[in-house]
Amino acid sequence: MTTRTAKIIFYVGTLSSAILFLTLTVDTHRQIEALTNADQLSDDVVAGKKVFEKHNCNDCHTILGFGGYYSPDLTRVYSRRGEDYIRKSVSQPEVVYANSFRKMPQQHLSPQEIDHLIAFFQWVDKIDTHDWPPQDSKRRIPSGARRLMEGATLSSGAALFKESGCFDCHALAGVGGTTGPALDSVGLKLDVDGIRNYIQNPMAANPEALMPAPDLPESDAEAIAQFLARQRGER
Amino acid sequence: MITYQSQRVAYPYFVIALLLFGLQVVMGIWLAINYSFTLPQGLVDVFPFATARAFHTNLLVLWMLLGFMGGTYFMVPEETRSELFSTKLAYLQLILLVGAGVAALVGFLFGWTQGRPLLEIPFELDLVVVVGALIFLFNVAMTMIKAKNWTMIQGTLLGGLIMLALLYLFGIPFYRNLSIDWYYWWWVIHLWVEGAWELVTSAIMAWILIQITGVPRQTVEKWLYVEIGLFMFTGLAGTGHHYYWLGAPRYWLWVGGIFSALEPLPILFMLWDTFKHVRERQKPITNPLVWTLAVGLAIYHFIGAGLWGFIHTLPQINYYTHGSQVTVSHGHMAFFGAYALLNLTMFYYAFPRLKGIDRFKQNLGTWGFWITGIAMFLMGLAFGVAGVLQSYLERVLGLGYMTTHLQMQLWFKIVIVCGLFFLAGVIIIIYDLLRMRPAEAKTA
Repeated sequence: MTTRTAKIIFYVGTLSSAILFLTLTVDTHRQIEALTNADQLSDDVVAGKKVFEKHNCNDCHTILGFGGYYSPDLTRVYSRRGEDYIRKSVSQPEVVYANSFRKMPQQHLSPQEIDHLIAFFQWVDKIDTHDWPPQDSKRRIPSGARRLMEGATLSSGAALFKESGCFDCHALAGVGGTTGPALDSVGLKLDVDGIRNYIQNPMAANPEALMPAPDLPESDAEAIAQFLARQRGER
Repeated sequence: MITYQSQRVAYPYFVIALLLFGLQVVMGIWLAINYSFTLPQGLVDVFPFATARAFHTNLLVLWMLLGFMGGTYFMVPEETRSELFSTKLAYLQLILLVGAGVAALVGFLFGWTQGRPLLEIPFELDLVVVVGALIFLFNVAMTMIKAKNWTMIQGTLLGGLIMLALLYLFGIPFYRNLSIDWYYWWWVIHLWVEGAWELVTSAIMAWILIQITGVPRQTVEKWLYVEIGLFMFTGLAGTGHHYYWLGAPRYWLWVGGIFSALEPLPILFMLWDTFKHVRERQKPITNPLVWTLAVGLAIYHFIGAGLWGFIHTLPQINYYTHGSQVTVSHGHMAFFGAYALLNLTMFYYAFPRLKGIDRFKQNLGTWGFWITGIAMFLMGLAFGVAGVLQSYLERVLGLGYMTTHLQMQLWFKIVIVCGLFFLAGVIIIIYDLLRMRPAEAKTA
C-alpha cells in the first residue's frame, strides 16, 4: 500500500462517516420532538429535571439506562411505582428503605421539588424507547409474571395481586419488593376478612402502615384476600 | 537524556496524574464496598454512593487528561525539533486544571454539582477547564507552527486534541429535553473515547514505536493514516450504539449496530501494526518493560475496548444488557486497556529520560504491570458475570432490581478482592516510577 492510498482511506473513511452521522443528527432532531412528546415538556417538567440534577440522582440511578448502576432505572418509575410511592420514597427514604439491603440518602426535598420531580418522571415515562427496558415492556411479559398468569386460571386473586402493583413492595417466593413485608406466610397471621380489611384501609388496621390504600373494587380486594389467605408458608 | 529543556514540564503533569490514579482506585474500592454491604443511613446521607461515583469517574478523566497533556508536552519538542512555545503557560495550565479539579471534588462533597454523570462539574468550573484547554491548544499549536517541521504524527495529535476540546463544549449547556441531553452527552463521552482519545493514542503510540523500534517514520505514518481512518469511520457513526433506547429514531439500531460491529477492526489493526513494528525493530531493547507495556496495551485495548464492546453493542443483546453491570465490565476493561496502559507506557518511556537514567530496574514495574493487568481482567470478568446474571434475572425474568442485586453479591465481593490487588499493583507502579533507579547502580 502506498502512502497515497493510506491517505485516501483516511479522508474517505472520516468524511463518509461524519456526513452520515451529521445528517442523521439533523433528522433525529426533527423526529425526537414527536418521539419524546416534546410538546408536553412543561416548565414543571424542566424544573423536575433540574431537581433530578441538583441532587445528583443520576449517579446512583440510571435513567434511559444511563448513569449510576447502583439503584433501579427510573425511565418507567412513574408507571412502575406510581406517584404515591415516589413521593414517599423521596421524602422518607430512611423509613421506606429501613429494611432494604441498600439505602437511599435523605436529600430534604421540598414538597414543591417533589411535585416537579414527579412531573419529570411522568414525562420521561412516555418517551418512546423502542420498548426498553425489557422488564417494563408491555409487549413481552416476563416469564415470572407468565407463571403467575397461568395460576390466574385457578385464582383471579393471583393475577390481581400482580396487576395491582402489590409486587412493587411485597415479595412472594423471593420475587418482589422489600419495602413491605414478604407475604409468603401472611395466611398464618390473618384470615380472609383480616387481609381484606387491611387492603381496604391499611391505616385503620395498623396506624403505622406505610401502605397506601389501593383504589380497588370490593370484589378485587376480596379475590386478593382469598389468594393471600392461602399463602401459609408452604413453599 | 531529554533533548529539549522544556520537556521537563511533563514531569509534574505525570506525577499529579499518578497520584490521582491512586485516589481513583481507592474510591473504586469504596464503591464496591457500597455494592456489597449495607451501609448505615447516617453515612449514606452525608457521603452517598453518587458522590463517591462522581469522585471515581472525574478522577479518571482528570488523571488521564493530565497524562495525555504531559505526554504531549514531552513528545512535541522532540517531534517538532524545537523547545515548547512557553513553559510558563504549561505550568499555568496545570495550576488551572488541577485547581478546577480539586475545587470540583470538594464541591461534590457539599452538593455543588451539575448532576450529570461524568460531567458533574459545575458551569463555573467548566469555564476554568475551557480556559485551561485553550491555553494548552494554543501552546501546542504555536510550538508546531513556529517550528514548521510538520509531521503526520503532529497533525494527528493536534487534530485529536482540538476535537477533544471542541466536543467538551457540547456537555456544557442545560438541555430541557432529557433525550437530547443524553444525545449530546455522548458527543462528549463516546466521541472522546472512541474518537478524539483514539487519535491521541494512535499518535502517541506511533511516536513511541518510532522511538523504541527505530522502524522508519514513513512506514509507521503510512499505517497511522489507515488506522485513524478506520477509527473515524467506525467511531463517528458508531456513536449510534448509544442511541438505541433514548427516544431517538429506530434507524440508529441499524447504524449503531453495523458501525459498532466494525469498531474492533481499527484496534485489531493497531495490534497487528504494533506486532509488526516490534518484529521489524532496528534498535536493541533497552528497557523491556516499555516494550511489554506497549504490546500489553495493544492486546488489552483490543480485548477490553474491542471484544468487550463488540459483544454487547449488537441491539438484540444490548436490549437486555444496556445499563447493567455488563456495561461496567466493558467500561473498566476498556479504560484500563486503552487509556490507563497508554499513560503507563508513556510514563515508563518518559520517566527514565526525565531523570537521566538509561536503563532502569525493571523488576517492580513488571510486577506492577502484571498485577494490575490480571487483577483488572478478573475484575472485568466478575462484573461481567454479575451483569449477565442481572440481564437474565431482572430483564428477562422480570425480578425486582434489589432481588436481582442480592443474587449478584458474591461477584461484587470478588470485585473488592480484585480491587485490592489492583490497588497494590498501582501503588507498586507509583512507587517504582517516583523512585526510579538505574539498573546498574550498586547499593552501598
